Amino acid sequence: MRTDVLHAVRLARIDLTLVGRNTTVLFNVLLMPLLLAAVYTSFPTGDIAGIDGELFVLTGVPGLMLAFAVFINLVNAFTARREELVLKRLRGGQPSAMAVMAGSGLSALALFLFQVLLLGVWVHRAEGVLPANVPMIVIAAALGVAVFGLLAAAFSGLTPNAEMAQITVLPVLLVMMVAAPIAFPAEVLPGPLAVISGLLPVTPIVEMMRTGFLGADHFTDGGEQLNMIEQWVAALPSIGILLAWVVIGAVLARWLFRWEPRHG
Amino acid sequence: MIYPMRTRQLADATGAGTAGLENVIEVGGLRQKYGDFEAVRGISFAVPRGEVFALLGTNGAGKTTTMEVLEGYAPATDGTVRVLGLDPIRQHRELRPRVGIMLQEGGFLGDLTVAETVDLWKGMSEDAGRPVTLSGSTELPGGFTLMGTRIRRVDRATMGALELVGLEKKARVKVKQLSGGQKRRLDLALAVLGSPEVLFLDEPTTGMDPEARRTTWKVVENLREAGTTVLLTTHYLEEAERLADRLAIMHEGLIHTHGTVDEVVATSGDMITFRLPGTSWTFGDLPALDGVAPVLTYSGGGTEVGYTLTGADTATRAHAALRPLMAWADTRGEALERLAVRRGTLEDVFMRIVGEAGL
Ligand SMILES: Nc1ncnc2c1ncn2[C@@H]1O[C@H](COP(=O)(O)OP(=O)(O)O)[C@@H](O)[C@H]1O
Ligand SMILES: [Mg+2]
Repeated sequence: MRTDVLHAVRLARIDLTLVGRNTTVLFNVLLMPLLLAAVYTSFPTGDIAGIDGELFVLTGVPGLMLAFAVFINLVNAFTARREELVLKRLRGGQPSAMAVMAGSGLSALALFLFQVLLLGVWVHRAEGVLPANVPMIVIAAALGVAVFGLLAAAFSGLTPNAEMAQITVLPVLLVMMVAAPIAFPAEVLPGPLAVISGLLPVTPIVEMMRTGFLGADHFTDGGEQLNMIEQWVAALPSIGILLAWVVIGAVLARWLFRWEPRHG
Repeated sequence: MIYPMRTRQLADATGAGTAGLENVIEVGGLRQKYGDFEAVRGISFAVPRGEVFALLGTNGAGKTTTMEVLEGYAPATDGTVRVLGLDPIRQHRELRPRVGIMLQEGGFLGDLTVAETVDLWKGMSEDAGRPVTLSGSTELPGGFTLMGTRIRRVDRATMGALELVGLEKKARVKVKQLSGGQKRRLDLALAVLGSPEVLFLDEPTTGMDPEARRTTWKVVENLREAGTTVLLTTHYLEEAERLADRLAIMHEGLIHTHGTVDEVVATSGDMITFRLPGTSWTFGDLPALDGVAPVLTYSGGGTEVGYTLTGADTATRAHAALRPLMAWADTRGEALERLAVRRGTLEDVFMRIVGEAGL
């Protein structure tokens, strides 16, 4: 166990080094969501769910970051490394399968948290708001990386090569961008869609992030201020949904993930 | 080809006392299928501690498949395999730190430098409780930035690993810029880094130039001296002959013959060849030697005669056959032109197996 943790941390550090050396990845992972955030917030909006529209959108941006910094990034990395036989080599070396996966997850978590930090600075500069509940933000990030890391592992199994990764991630990306309550609350979607949106893994993460930033209830349409305990109580259903997704993701990853390219 | 075969076997005999007869690798009735296709069709062999064992065979013989079952990449379709007495899949965790693997083809993280790659592997080996004991002659300084890249110090242990395989001048080169042969050498350095008890080398010298090949052989020979058990695959006869204490010739999923190089070569028979003037000789004119009739071919006004001796007494059968041959020549008043006696070679055996099985 201790060995696994050491291996995972070591591999995560290498991952981050490699991200720093690859401008394409650097752009896709770090800049893209921030650019999208700038686009989203450039449309004039009135108040949403009782708060300033720009603030509402900005605090939903972690949903986009999750798509780019975690999901797309990891589908690409898993697929490319499998096809280049890097995963095969790692598995033949000292680290266990768990440590290899955890290493990728840790590096994605570090990138994601770094972006959320940048976002926090942006929110503070633009709106004068400081995050109300940092632990909730961190827990949402960790759960988000767990779910989307596992989903990325599963999707990489469906992706024949690194070029195709752009296409296989598209459906997930679209769903995340359209159905998640980034620019509007889930409740404005027509009945059944709102229910579906609420069950998708990205929605509870966005809602936890928004509540974490603003200290107000963004799990329902309400938007009224909550104290710390009330915030956590309000987050419980979201945490439950995410834990269920961790299980679903793990099952899918177990089923679909491949360590080696298909033969012939 | 002259290799220090004898001295090596003596050295082994003296070391054998402490190691006992323990088999580090055991393969019993191994079969391996890919879908309907059976790549390995029931093979058995054992490798005692400290031995270098070679699987020799053409492409597609099933060597890599066999290795990967032993390495724990795939469960055996049928049969049993044990490495250090452990099951490569169920006891993978216990086995992993004690085993070094050089795959036939394994990818690197191309954007890392050679030294960073070794550092990563070294670190993971240390994390797993196997410190790297290599020590190079120098270290490279670090702590500065060059063209936007942070240059880290390269310590002696890492340099030691690179010196071992002759890559010390490439420490700061990106792995993706290495040639195929250089990547193989880096591969070897990673495989031996944690002083493994068992080393799997799948075609370790394929793609290497002759000098790199010799370096690699030296590394394997040194490891053997240090007591490492090595299973290697190759399609180079010379490599098997030089490195292997014992070898098995594999073809189309089966082991056709195995033993020490001497034992295997002995199965090919000794050759006696000479030439007689004129083309009127028939096979009835010549004596049978050691119960073997000659093969005659006619060329350029002469007759080429060849005997392949396969008698049980491999050491003296050629000598014993020459006496009646000389007596025959004396009685007939003939001189045996270009008389040659030569031992069979590994190539003879190899070609016979590959040929017999239909190639
Ligand atoms: N993953 C696989 N799926 C299907 N067939 C395979 C696979 N790997 C190897 N084979 C086939 O099995 C046979 C043995 O392959 P291999 O073990 O790689 O031989 P060698 O290493 O001796 O060249 C070959 O005919 C090869 O095409
Ligand atoms: Mg092979």
